[in-house]
Parts: sequence; structure tokens; C-alpha cells
Amino acid sequence: MGRPLSEWIDRQADRLFILPAVVAILAFSIFPLLVSAYLAVSRFQLTAGGYQIRYIGWLNFKKILTGSEQFHFLGTFAPIPWFAWILPLLALLFVGRGLRLYLTTGRVTVLGAIGRAISAALIVALATLIAATCGPHGGLGTVSVTLMYVVIGVSFQFLLGLGLAMLCAQRIRGRGFFRVVFMIPLMVTPVGVAYTFRMMADMTQGPLSPLWRLLGLGDLTWASQGWSARLVVMVGDAWQWIPFIFIVLLAAIEGQSREQVEAASLDGAGFWRIFRDITWPEIAPVAATVVLIRVIEAFKIIDLPNILTNGGPGIATESLTLHSFIYWRTLDLGGSAAVAYSLLFISTVFSVSFFNFVVQPVRSARK
Amino acid sequence: MTVALDRITKSFGAVTALHELSLEVERGEFLVLLGPSGCGKTTALRMVAGLETVTSGRILIDGKDVTEVQPKNRDIAMVFQSYALYPHMTVAQNIAYPLVIRKEPRTEIDRQVKEVAAQVQLDQLLDRYPKQLSGGQRQRVALARAIVRRPAAFLMDEPLSNLDAKLRGHMRAELKHMQHQLDITTIYVTHDQIEAMTLAHRVAVLSKGVLQQIGTPQEIYEMPANMFVAGFVGSPPMNFLNGDLAEGRFVTGGTSLPVHHAGSRKDVVLGFRAEDCSVTAAETAGAVAGTIYSTELIGDHVLVTCEAAGHTVVVKAEKTFTREIGEPVGIRISPDHIHLFAGPDGERIR
Amino acid sequence: MNARKSWFEPRKLGEMAPAARIGIYAVLGFWALVVLFPLYWLFITSFKLPIDVAYPPKYLPFLDFAPSLSAWRYIFVDLGNDTLRPYFNSVIVALSSTVLSVGIGSMAAYALSRIEYKPRLGSILCFILILAGVVVAVLAGHVDWRLATLVGIALFILVLRTVARRFRRHVGNPDILFWIISQRILPPVVAALPIYVMFQHLNLLDTHLALIVTYMTINLPISVWLMYDFLVGVPTDLEESAQLDGASRFRIFFGIVLPLAKPGLIATFLLVLILAWNEYLLALFLSTAKAQTMPILIAAQNGTRGPQWWYMSALITIMIAPVVALTVALQKYIAQGLLLGAVKG
Repeated sequence: MGRPLSEWIDRQADRLFILPAVVAILAFSIFPLLVSAYLAVSRFQLTAGGYQIRYIGWLNFKKILTGSEQFHFLGTFAPIPWFAWILPLLALLFVGRGLRLYLTTGRVTVLGAIGRAISAALIVALATLIAATCGPHGGLGTVSVTLMYVVIGVSFQFLLGLGLAMLCAQRIRGRGFFRVVFMIPLMVTPVGVAYTFRMMADMTQGPLSPLWRLLGLGDLTWASQGWSARLVVMVGDAWQWIPFIFIVLLAAIEGQSREQVEAASLDGAGFWRIFRDITWPEIAPVAATVVLIRVIEAFKIIDLPNILTNGGPGIATESLTLHSFIYWRTLDLGGSAAVAYSLLFISTVFSVSFFNFVVQPVRSARK
Repeated sequence: MTVALDRITKSFGAVTALHELSLEVERGEFLVLLGPSGCGKTTALRMVAGLETVTSGRILIDGKDVTEVQPKNRDIAMVFQSYALYPHMTVAQNIAYPLVIRKEPRTEIDRQVKEVAAQVQLDQLLDRYPKQLSGGQRQRVALARAIVRRPAAFLMDEPLSNLDAKLRGHMRAELKHMQHQLDITTIYVTHDQIEAMTLAHRVAVLSKGVLQQIGTPQEIYEMPANMFVAGFVGSPPMNFLNGDLAEGRFVTGGTSLPVHHAGSRKDVVLGFRAEDCSVTAAETAGAVAGTIYSTELIGDHVLVTCEAAGHTVVVKAEKTFTREIGEPVGIRISPDHIHLFAGPDGERIR
Repeated sequence: MNARKSWFEPRKLGEMAPAARIGIYAVLGFWALVVLFPLYWLFITSFKLPIDVAYPPKYLPFLDFAPSLSAWRYIFVDLGNDTLRPYFNSVIVALSSTVLSVGIGSMAAYALSRIEYKPRLGSILCFILILAGVVVAVLAGHVDWRLATLVGIALFILVLRTVARRFRRHVGNPDILFWIISQRILPPVVAALPIYVMFQHLNLLDTHLALIVTYMTINLPISVWLMYDFLVGVPTDLEESAQLDGASRFRIFFGIVLPLAKPGLIATFLLVLILAWNEYLLALFLSTAKAQTMPILIAAQNGTRGPQWWYMSALITIMIAPVVALTVALQKYIAQGLLLGAVKG
């Protein structure tokens, strides 16, 4: 009696292996995605008997893009300061180069071209948005703040992580010790990091307060200034995530062919020469991948802005996730879903663009 | 450029890889460091290059002590076992790299690259990437990169071991020809004794970090200094019989053979090569008795493996050899071509 | 004559210039300080009394201030259960969800690396359409969700057998893998609401089960990704020989592949465990009192008079202590896990 059953199970084995994962993702990712999509175009209201969801079309999005919540989402517009013009310019250069590279590969498809055009347009638009809201009388919205966390934060983390990895890959003693110690911040819960850094950054009572007083900054309250608050958030984020980049890059640097480096040093190449000509091309694909992973995660940032500054002062440090969460707390489910979907859109386009414009070219250059 | 190693010792913690190695390489000489894996030959090579530190002793290039000199200042080029080509650079860029580092003018670099590429027959492949090349082509790129610097000495670490047998033979001839043309002092490391025999002006045989013998290929072959060298060089390996010397005769397991050595001595090993003996009928006087274990037709000769007096003996026979496995035979050894070694340490007697 | 070399040149072969060595150690030492000091500060603050927190800051226990156990006593004795329960919840939720996630994830990774799948594009599209229809029906049409789901399933099977056959276009393993891994891009906040609503309907809010199942799913992409990269590198000879001997897939997977994949499993397990242990947002949505986890407890310490640093430090310390200990003990595996994803991927 058991035999035919076990045989049937075995024949279904192929499907059974992958089914749990697929079902789980369908139930907890795809299904909620669809529900959220519907919520984003409807209005949630509590009624006498429970709740009511009413379809209202694009109103939620209108509110955050052009309506009463525009200052919250996009920011307050102001004339573009002279130095901020560099942002849209850089964006144009970047996407221009990326598009040119793509068009010359010879494997251009309609879908691919349209997709890349959309992402190019979005990147330039976002860069312009930041430029248009960062002026002295303007105010950055959650979109810009999140983008700042991603672009500036990850760049800084990458440079520091790379530097540390390069140093640690040299012939020094205690490499194992450094490797273990440097890994620790990654394991601390972000909520814990937030509180710890709140303590550390306390200008009047924190451990560094003697230093601040010495520098005459003792009366500065970083939490009341937009840019200093953002800085502290980014410092906390960097403290936590640099280890990730460090470990991966260290392994990549240590994994390069020893004989290539020896051959180059025999030929007379010094340290920087070797790094530029041999090490960097070797680790570039890994570096691109690790930055991509970091970018994807960075878009979701919530713990630090929430706990460290509660999004403040005002909305200066509020990330998109926090923005959505705040709406949820006020029972504006439609608005919450709308912001969440915008985050999904921006995050996906950005990540895919990064993959197409940076990761792919780097990987195929190696092949 | 002469290279000299003066009592070089290298230890990794408690393990000694090289023990007081001393040798000298003359100008333009092709010296081969030969030995099984783990004998220290690659370590010695890397110390000459400056890629390993020296525990004690000196390295001298042209009489100057370079033991603490950086590798890039020793004017030495090295061909690595894995070729160490830069995968993201073209063949031309790989070859040009040493010159680019020296900041030579662009036109000069191009000229020299083309010249060297023609020398190793790579001129058609200058725009390719290493992954598009075959093993033999990659090896030539590595060679070209070494040559283009016009170094004072070449170091080669088993450059042919990654090639298939047929290509290896071809490249051996190429290497020998090239070294002769360029007349650059070369130190070459290998475990393949055929490469050593065919390429070297002199061979240095190493085992377990100790130099066993240094001499021309002929000297190594005809007059091995100890049992290790005798057994390592030559294919098939030399045959060994254990026994004693008794008044000018070698006695083993029931037979005795005349040898050109007076006196008596216990615990002696008789060595003879496969081509210096022959298979005769069983019960032949003066021949060692044995039985055929297997026969292998090589093409122009037959290798007959026999069991005799408790030992395994390989004999080269003519290609028309037709005896069968299990047949009793006699093995006649030519007394003019035997080698005697002292039992315990294997040193040559005489 | 050996002229005295400058500080910028190596003195001996194989060594770095003294200036370089000092510089490197200085930078690395500085960063080690940056890493360890906040944690050190956190630790000693948990032994401080309220007055010790005022300016000037006190750095050394026993020298600058007298350490006291009052904060510790408070969280363990006075609050007692209020501290232990979230801790207990964190342990249960993190461990269970990780076991499930890595288990299901490695099964899927194994399948994707050894078996070829070819789901038809048409079927997938139909599925999504029907799913969307069910969603709209339940939310806008106020149809009972159980009824809508059943109808949806029936409809799907029907369509699958008839219309979907027309479309020949297939998607393959790389697409499925990409789909699973790309779920990582999904910000949890997008899914948080609907999951909240879903659990509310099922009366499962504030339970361990809700958190476990949710965490299991959000960590599936990572489990699958890391195990896939690992399993691809495991040679298939042993499995093929077992197949020839007649073993079933299940037997091969549990008896041969999993033991071989132990290093990868451990690495993945540790990484996912840490992610689940530290998760904040979804716990915030899905738990209120009974199933509250440590991050929520810590975040809730924002009292009206401002955070009370000494209690918080104690709480945070007990939360990060096990993870830090785990890291130091098993750092080799964790590093391997991080690398699996980035270096090969």
C-alpha cells in the first residue's frame, strides 16, 4: 500500500522540491505586491462596521507628486544653486556613456532599448530633483534623502571598505584579528546601532563631548540641523555596512593570482602600478556586485532614521520606508502603499540600471 | 651574467626546504635544477628571483650580493608555471608591460614588441587576449614578455609542464634554439628528466633540499654520484640488485657476477641500465636467473620486466622479442657498464 | 657599503618600508578603535547609574565611576518577564524561521541546479491575472476571501488545461532563479501592509507563527542564492552513481547532498539567522505584545523623558552579545557566506 504512494511522491519529487519556495514567495511577495498595488489606487477608511476600501484612481499619487504632500515626498522646490548643476550634468554623462556602450554592443533589442531609455530618463530626473530641492530655501523630500543615503552613503562605504581591504591584504601580522573585529558591526541589530550612535553623538554628555567642547562645537545640536542629522545617519550606516564591503573585497584581493602580481613586481611595477593594472581589473566584477547588493539594501533603510532622529528635524532624514510607515501609522493605507510602490519603482529601476550600466560591462570586460 | 648561490638555506618554521645549497651558473649557461616535487628546486629559483627570503646564505649576481635587493632591481625575468599572463590585456600589451613600466617611448615599445613577437612567432596574434590562445601560444607570450626586457638572466619554473606531450617535445626544441640564439644565462626548474637531459648544459639534481650532483647531462647519466641520481635520471629507471662484494665478484641470491672492483664489502647495490643488459636462455652461465613478468612493445624496442633474485629488473630487448610471460630466462649484465653503490647511504663506490 | 636607507624603503627583502608598516598599523588600529569603542561604551553604560551619564563622560569603570548592577537588576528582576519574553520570542522566531528558510531554500537551490524546469510563459501570465482578479474581488467586491480563492484555483486549473496550452514559449532555470533572487529588491514595507491584513483575517496577528512564516519567506532569496552558488560547485558524480543504484531524489538530497554541503549550509544558516535576529520593520507591523521581539522592545524604550541610556544599554548588550560571540567563534563561515553571494554571483 505504501509503495505506489512513495513512487508517486518520487515522480513528483522534481516539483515538490521547488514548490515550497515558490508557494511561499507567491503568498508573501507576489500576492502582497498585488494587494499593495490595489491599495495604492484606493482610499482606506474606517467605518462603523470595520473598514472600507474605495477605488480612487491616481489620487494618492497625485497627492504626493503634485498635491499637499509634495513637500514631503519630492521636496520644496527652490532655484538651483550654482554648484548643484553638477548633479544633472553628471547624471547625463553617466547615462549617456551607458547608453552609448549599450548601443555599440550590437545586441540591441527593442525592449532593452526602451527599458534603458526609461531608466536613463529617471536617473536624470532624480538628479535634477535633488538639485532643484537642495537650495537654501528649498527642502529635500524623502525621495531625495533616500537617494542621498544610497549614492553618497554607498560610495563612501565602498571607498573606505576598499581602502581597509587593501591595507589588510598587505603582509602584516594580526590580519586574522582585524578580520574578525572588523566583521562585528555587521552583526549588531540596526536598532542597537541607532541607539548606540545616538549616545555617541550626544554633544553634551557623550563620550566625545570633551572633543567637541575643545573644538568649540559643544553647543551644536546636530539633531536640529538637516545636514548634520543626515550626516550622523550616514555615519551610523557606514559604521554598520563598511565591514560587508571590506570582507568581500579583502577576499577578492587575496584571491588574485599570486603569480601575476609577482610577475609584475619582477618587471619593476611598484605598489600603485600593480593595483591599477592588475588588482583593480581583477576585483572589479566583485566590487561591482558588492556595490549592487549594498545599493539594493540601502534603499530600504528605516531603522537608523527612525530611531536616531525620528525622521527629523522635520523630514530632513526621513527615508521612503519611514515615510510609508508614518502614513500607515495615521491609517492612510492608500498613501502608504503609494509611497511604498514609488520606492519599489525607484529602487528597481536604479538597481537594474546599475546592473546594466556598471556590473554587466565590468563583467564582460573580464570575460 | 653569472649567478651564484652561496650556502643557501631556507626554512619554513621547523621544515627545512633547502640545506646549504651552493652552485654557480656561468655566463650564457643553461642550468637545469632537476628533482622530484618537494625537493626545493622551485624554492631555490624563487630565491634567486627575490620572491622568497633567504634564511641564511647569499645570492650573488655578477659577484654582487643581491640577497636583500628587491626583485625588480635584480634585472631578472621569470617565466612562471602558469605563465601569469594578464587576462585583461592583449598579447601586445602583455609583452609591452615591462617596457611600459619603465616609461619607454611609445614608438620604441611598439618596435621592440613586434621584434620579439616575430622571434617567437606571435606576430599574427598580437591583438588577441590570453583566453583566446592555446597553451603553447600562451607560453610563447610569457617567453616573449621575459625576452623583451633583455634581462641579464632567465628563470623558468616548469614552463612546459602544462602542455601536452607532443607540444612539449616541440617547445623543448624551440627553447633550446632560442636560448642558444639569445645567449642569456638561464636557470630552469623541472621534474622531467628528459627535459633536463635535452636542454641543459649542466644539470643540478636535488632531493629533499640537498644537492645530489651537478654535472653535464652525460656525466649525470654515465656516472651518477649516488643511488638517487642513478634511479631518477634515465628512462626506464636503472635496475638495482642488493648483495655483497666478495673478492671481485658481486654475490646475490645464488648467483655471482664478475665486477671490475677488487676486494670485499658487505651490503652493496649493483646498478645497471636496461640497455646494458640482455635476455638470454635460462641457465646461461654468468647470467642472473629470472622469469618474465611482462613485456611491452614500445615501437623500436621491447621492454621486458623480469623477476630475478627477488628483484624487479627491466631489460631493453630488440623489437622482435617473442618470449612469453612466465618463461624462465637469464639476464646477462655487461660488466663494463655497471655501477656500484654502498648499501646504507647509496654513495658511489670507486 | 650599505648606506642607511630612508624610512620609505624596505629594509629587508619581503618586508615593507618602516613608514608603510607604521602607517598601515595606525590606520587599521584606528578603525579597530572605531569599531570597538561604541560597543565598549555601550557595555560600560549598562553599568552606570543615572548620575554617571551626565557630563563629564566617564570612560573607565572602577576608576571614573563605580559600576553598579542596578540597570541589570531592573531589566531582569523588575521587568522580569517583560524582558525575557521578547528575548525568548526572538530566539524562537529567529531559529525556526532560519531552519525553515535554509531548508526550503536549499531544496529549491538543489532543484534549480540539478533539474531543468520549463514552465510555460502562458501559464504564468494566466496565474498572475487570476490572482489579481481574486485580489480585486476580495477587496473591492467584498467577496469572501475563501470563496474567491477557491474559485480562483478552479479557474486557474481550467485555464491551464485549455487556453494556456496554446502558448509555447518557455522560461528556464536562470529565469526562475533570477525571479527568486530579485525578490530581495522588494522593500519589505510594500508587502508589510497586505501581510498585516492577511494575518489579521486569519487571526494570527501577534503570534510566533506569523513572524516565523514571514521571516522564512523574506530570507528565502538569500538562502536560495547562497545555496545555489554553493551547490553548483559540488560535483555530481556521487549523485549520479546513487541514481544508477536506484536511489530516489529525496534520499539523494538528504543522504548525500546535504552532508556534502555542510560548509555552505552553516554559512547560509548563520547569515540568515543574523538577518532574522535583527529584523525590525516586519516585527513592528506584525507583533504587538505577545510575540514582540527584542528589536521592538529596544525601540520602544523611547520614553517620554527621553531614552534611559543605562537600561537600553543593558538590553542592547544582551541582544548583541550572542550574535557577537557567534561571529567571533564562527567568523570563517560567516565570511564564506558573504563571499558566496558576491564573489561567484
